[in-house]
Amino acid sequence: MRLDQVWLRYGVRAPWVLRAVEVEISPGQSAVVLGRNGVGKSTLLQVAVGVLDPTRGVVRDRPATVGWVPERFPADQPYTVGQYLTGMGRIRGLSGAAAARTVAGWIERLGLAAYRDVRLPALSKGTAQKVGLAQALLRPPGLLVLDEPWEGLDAPTRELVPELIGEVLDGGGAVLVSDHRGETVRLPHAARWNVADGTVTVSSPATADRRVAGSRTPVGTVPAVPPVAADRRVSGAGTSVVEIAVPTVQALETVAALRRAGHQVLGVRLAEPPPAGHGDTPAELPAPPRTPTASGTRAAPGAQAVPAVPAVPAVPGGSVVPAVPAVPAVPAVPAGPAVPAVPAVPGGPGVPAVPGGPGVPAAGVDGGGEQPAKPVVATGEES
Amino acid sequence: MTALARMRLVGFVRTARALPPLIAGLVALTVLYGGGAAQATEAYGVSAVVLFPVLAWQTKLLLDTEPDTQRRLAVVAAGRRAELAGGVIAAGLAGLALVPVALLLPWLVGGVTGPERPGDLPLALGLTVGLWAHLLVLPAAVALGALASRAATSSPLYGLAALVGGVVGVYVLGLKDSVLPWIAPPVLATARASTAGPDGWSVALLTGHALLWSAVALAGYAWLRRRRR
Repeated sequence: MRLDQVWLRYGVRAPWVLRAVEVEISPGQSAVVLGRNGVGKSTLLQVAVGVLDPTRGVVRDRPATVGWVPERFPADQPYTVGQYLTGMGRIRGLSGAAAARTVAGWIERLGLAAYRDVRLPALSKGTAQKVGLAQALLRPPGLLVLDEPWEGLDAPTRELVPELIGEVLDGGGAVLVSDHRGETVRLPHAARWNVADGTVTVSSPATADRRVAGSRTPVGTVPAVPPVAADRRVSGAGTSVVEIAVPTVQALETVAALRRAGHQVLGVRLAEPPPAGHGDTPAELPAPPRTPTASGTRAAPGAQAVPAVPAVPAVPGGSVVPAVPAVPAVPAVPAGPAVPAVPAVPGGPGVPAVPGGPGVPAAGVDGGGEQPAKPVVATGEES
Repeated sequence: MTALARMRLVGFVRTARALPPLIAGLVALTVLYGGGAAQATEAYGVSAVVLFPVLAWQTKLLLDTEPDTQRRLAVVAAGRRAELAGGVIAAGLAGLALVPVALLLPWLVGGVTGPERPGDLPLALGLTVGLWAHLLVLPAAVALGALASRAATSSPLYGLAALVGGVVGVYVLGLKDSVLPWIAPPVLATARASTAGPDGWSVALLTGHALLWSAVALAGYAWLRRRRR
């Protein structure tokens, strides 16, 4: 699918929300849409799914089956979960039996069985969001568009989203995701579509990596991404996630050093969760943090690459946490001993270990902007 | 498209939004027929005029039942044309359900009589004319209600203005001495023809006029839907 010179505004005299947007996504590719509040992320996604028509320009080659998870699921409807999903299945062209079978499958998988006969207005936000997720997947989509899909979801379902995305990609579909919670760190190989001032700049994961070292190379289209399976490489066999905590003032050089050493840095965040509504702006990794609080840095070097951690410059008081039980205690950063559980960083709580998985506490924000005071998360691949 | 229409009808009924226009229609018709008995063609012609705003209002209520985001989800799931058609079909079916009620009610309250004088139309013909009159105002009412729906107007105020203004305009422009009768759907003209006993030519002319007006109005609805973001 390709957005070809797409311009959009909501009225004749209204300001342009999108200007000359030219992006492309191919089957098997995923992209994360990033940007501040109100910058046009949801508008871009709605243009992609076909809900909004461009004022100028055209959307080409949109797949026939599109799944869309809106930012807020419209729960104010007089149906039960089962009735709604069955109705949406029928609208999507499934026969009665096929709709019943498919709905039963998704209800089971998303943990909605207890809510099957509950009316939509009675659902919690997260459960309603699951219903929104299910309706988008009733038919295998050629394009899946998720607008803040992690919002309100419980931890198990948050973990499930990347898996569902991986399945769509494996099936030859394309996936577009917007996120301001930093959850897209779970999609380290998705391209980044940075929305700002009505324009979209696209960077590959590799490009995002390079930006940490100071380069900024917007490109016109989404470059080929690594094979689909690589999206789940971080949680695959032979890969471990190690979380380390360093003083914020040294976060940048730590990230750079880890990357120079060939590790994949999954994210950087302040150890303390940001205040509500504070984590929306993509922050650019190279920006030095303003506050001298501690930052948590996650690196996925692969189990065999763990010994490279000592290449990080001296981090006084820093600690290295073996996130995966199978990983032996990582050689410590010079001034910090290896500890199994973290709170070793002065001035901030420790980063909790992530047993056995790539799960990321939801405080990170993926980076493209320029607000150093906000938590930062870098996502990249091994270079 | 049928699944979408069915889902919208179910939602319309379950939210009880179907009740206000139904009650309003029944009250209006009961008051109308309370004045005494009339010939079927005459009674049904006026009944169609009275039901026109009720049907338009019902259409607006039905199309407004669904949250905007759900309507967009339906666009994604079914396609833009199917979503548009699904709403119009649902509104047409909901309006169709009121027609037999309107045809039956006058008999319950003694509002119609059979032929009494020489020249009165036979009862069967009177019922047929009444059915034709009601079916003729239905597409125009659906089109007006669609134009006044939230999906086509940018604010509730504009929607209400479109509904009220549309109904008043239909009545005013449909008066016998109107200089622009063809601008409005032939609601009053149908009632006049029904009372007088329509001939084949007037039936064809009024039917063509009503269908053409409805088609143009629905095209306008589709255009507004496409234009409104």
